[in-house]
Amino acid sequence: MSDQGLLTGEHFLLGDYAAAEGAILAGCRFFAGYPITPATEIAERMSIRLPQIDGIYIQMEDELASMNAVLGASWAGVKSMTATSGPGFSLMMENLGLGIMLETPCVLVDVQRGGPSTGLPTLVGQQDMMQARWGTHGDYEIIALCPSSPQELFDLTIRAFNLSEKFRTPVLVMTDAEVGHMTERVVIPQPEEIEIINRPQVRKGDMEPDHFRIYQDTDSDGAAGTVSPMAIAGEGYRFHITGLTHDELGYPAMTAEASEWNIKRLVKKIRAHRDEIIQLEERYLDDAEIVVVSYGISARTSEWPIEQARKAGIRVGYLRLITIWPFPEKRIFELAKGIRAFVVPEINMGQICLEVERCAAGQAQVLGVHRLGGDILEPQQVLGAICKAAGRSDLLQTDLQNRQTER
Amino acid sequence: MAESDTWLEHCGHEPDPQSDWVTGLHPMDVLLRGERLPHIWCQGCGLGTALTTFIGALQWLEMNQNWDLDKVSVVSGIGCTGRIAGYIRLDSFHTTHGRAIPFATGLKLANGELKVVVISGDGDIAGIGGNHFIHAARRNLDITVICVNNFNYGMTGGQAGPTTPHGARAVTTQYGNFEHPFNLPYLAAAGGASFVARWTVLHARRLEWTLREAMMHPGFSFVEIIAPCSTSYARWNLEGRGLDPQKLGRRGLEVMKHYQQVGKIAHDTHPKDAAVKVNEKGEINAIIEGIFLNEPKPEFRAAIENQAQVAKERWSAAKKALDRRPKLSGRTDFIDRTDVQLGGFGGQGIMSAGRIIGQAATIYDKIEACFTQSYGPEARGGAAGSQVVVAVEPIHHPHLIAPSSAIIMSQEAYAKYAPNLTADGILLIDDGLVTLPEDHRRDLKTYGIAATQIAEEFGNSRAANSAMLGFWAAIVGAVSQEAMRQSLADSVPPKTLEVNLSVFDVGFEKGLALKKDA
Repeated sequence: MSDQGLLTGEHFLLGDYAAAEGAILAGCRFFAGYPITPATEIAERMSIRLPQIDGIYIQMEDELASMNAVLGASWAGVKSMTATSGPGFSLMMENLGLGIMLETPCVLVDVQRGGPSTGLPTLVGQQDMMQARWGTHGDYEIIALCPSSPQELFDLTIRAFNLSEKFRTPVLVMTDAEVGHMTERVVIPQPEEIEIINRPQVRKGDMEPDHFRIYQDTDSDGAAGTVSPMAIAGEGYRFHITGLTHDELGYPAMTAEASEWNIKRLVKKIRAHRDEIIQLEERYLDDAEIVVVSYGISARTSEWPIEQARKAGIRVGYLRLITIWPFPEKRIFELAKGIRAFVVPEINMGQICLEVERCAAGQAQVLGVHRLGGDILEPQQVLGAICKAAGRSDLLQTDLQNRQTER
Repeated sequence: MAESDTWLEHCGHEPDPQSDWVTGLHPMDVLLRGERLPHIWCQGCGLGTALTTFIGALQWLEMNQNWDLDKVSVVSGIGCTGRIAGYIRLDSFHTTHGRAIPFATGLKLANGELKVVVISGDGDIAGIGGNHFIHAARRNLDITVICVNNFNYGMTGGQAGPTTPHGARAVTTQYGNFEHPFNLPYLAAAGGASFVARWTVLHARRLEWTLREAMMHPGFSFVEIIAPCSTSYARWNLEGRGLDPQKLGRRGLEVMKHYQQVGKIAHDTHPKDAAVKVNEKGEINAIIEGIFLNEPKPEFRAAIENQAQVAKERWSAAKKALDRRPKLSGRTDFIDRTDVQLGGFGGQGIMSAGRIIGQAATIYDKIEACFTQSYGPEARGGAAGSQVVVAVEPIHHPHLIAPSSAIIMSQEAYAKYAPNLTADGILLIDDGLVTLPEDHRRDLKTYGIAATQIAEEFGNSRAANSAMLGFWAAIVGAVSQEAMRQSLADSVPPKTLEVNLSVFDVGFEKGLALKKDA
């Protein structure tokens, strides 16, 4: 336990609470949100915790406002976050776009439930994965992480803040109702053991305000991707920023050339750092003829079937996408060359499955394993798909007995 | 509403980036982004006056109230007025349509030292951003909202909006507006704003004085500025109809003359009575102006800061409790994965019981546990269920596969969960609440305890779950007695600690005895 109001040590913690504690340790001191199941516990935790550490919690009138307040707070120099679920995520799309355009560090946690529309308020889904990628209009790159346990919800919320600060862009934590509402052991390190990244920033007096370019392009061909220092409100730089296509000064620039410069800047700063951003968990890939590609709670459900299938002699490997966007295109393409099939379990009708298919580029078969929200996948379903992909449907009968052996 | 990139041509302006519009000779030049001029506004538009009165007020505050203008942030949304943020040399934010107020809320809350002013149009603030407007007024956050009302959506070409007078013409109300407009001062006041005023741009000096006062006001201040839209609104309505469309300045002037005729200064008018009045043809025939409301009221950010002390005391108490947690060595023996189903009705502590098992296992026995609950809008007294998995190895699939034990505290839960137990599973029931039916599964090892009755004997029926927990710990043995007692102690209110531990011990002893017999 630290004296500065920071929770440390081992706790039996709800996933949503773990996200809140991760945010606090990452330096988040502003939360704006709107109640929505199953993300509400993040707001509840923040409403109690932030006032204890001189932070600000506010419940806004809706998710449009929440996202904007988070952007405003970030431009006042405070690390900020919001959390929501499907319907609220839809409302946040508008100003997620503004955040991307203004190059604003902030974090948005989406605790996914079944959709579309009001859908299944209290039950799990993984149906916002493509909305995370393309939900706001226009061209851009986005960073999204996908935790599969409360511990990882804690760890990845910190990572989300670090990435958002480093690349000056909103980062999404795409968790789900199952992980958000699950309680498990969460180990919280001492603050000094955690790497914290702060945004590149000019402070008062660092330079002549007239010389400051809020979107300075330091790299002439843009290949390395530019993340330039930001100023914050109140420090004398008297900068201007706009959601309009803009130039280095942040001034509106209504030409095709300006748009090309502006959008490439947003895209390249992430694409050029893909290898650093992409985080994967891999197992048994060396000899694999089948690879299960999954993420979040569905990846957890896939672990037992993989073990069972390997016991039965199927050479199956495991690839967990901890970073979901940017997508590990190269890794999937390389793997596809040497394997028979990918199996992609997810709680939707096939979203990431399509990405795997795209990256496999016809070199390997891609089999989706779907459940349409409401409940997590049954390990049995995943095992069935692995057997099918391996051409070993004969194993399916015996699995019913295996099912008992997990305990 | 979209930005029009043909707007410059539409207004007859030829932008010339080389031109030096700001000479530095005018006292306001220092607050203008000269490199961005000429502006996009039409001749005869009221926004130039709105901008200069705003700058005048800021300079007065700098001179007379020692305001540091580096600390002023200007936030606007989308539309003609929204462009003010791009011309003023201060920290300035051109946000999305309607969202200037929540953006400003974030700025102000995150840094209380900032003076935050929202300046945007009527469509932005009262149309698409209307909800944010009334909520910001309700909170009485210390920001100033200036709404330039030109009675229509100018930038997109003159469509009717939330302030277009009833009967007035616009591009989209060619037969007369069939809707009724907002009375913005009344809306702000009803929302909770503590400073509300209105001027037309004709009354430039009074407007500037009011803007000073509004920005100094410690709370949510709202100023409506009524301004001519020489290109669109004036084209279709009384003031500018019939005038040469090439002479927009003339149209603007006619509108100003009209304001002079219909404007009436009446401070302290009840905002309800401050509606812009029109005749049966939709022609404006009265505009009440002045400061309608200026009252002291607790400010929002201060209200948040006032709670910090209480919050910190609560943290200290929580920290003390956590520091008191004993460090146990944990268990070293292997146990099989144990899937536990808990069921009863709301209020029995079914959720807490599952959580207590999980916490005992992870924090004190130092093995793995995963606790999940059937989440629903169940009211107290409704069905409640929770599940916990305890294991030495990592728990992958978090749901129960075939529960090996169950803690059941209602007949309904028995009916729901008993069939799911694995063959030879252990069923623990509160036998004061559950009656086994004739077709009860013979393969199950069933143990009963009158948990609720025991708890009542100790004077607190709500401790019944503690009896069940003791009973479970003794019979199933997946979590140690010491760990369970400690986890229970962490989880119950201090006042009920003794009762809960006693009830737990009774359950544990009874469990041990029954297990021995079996």
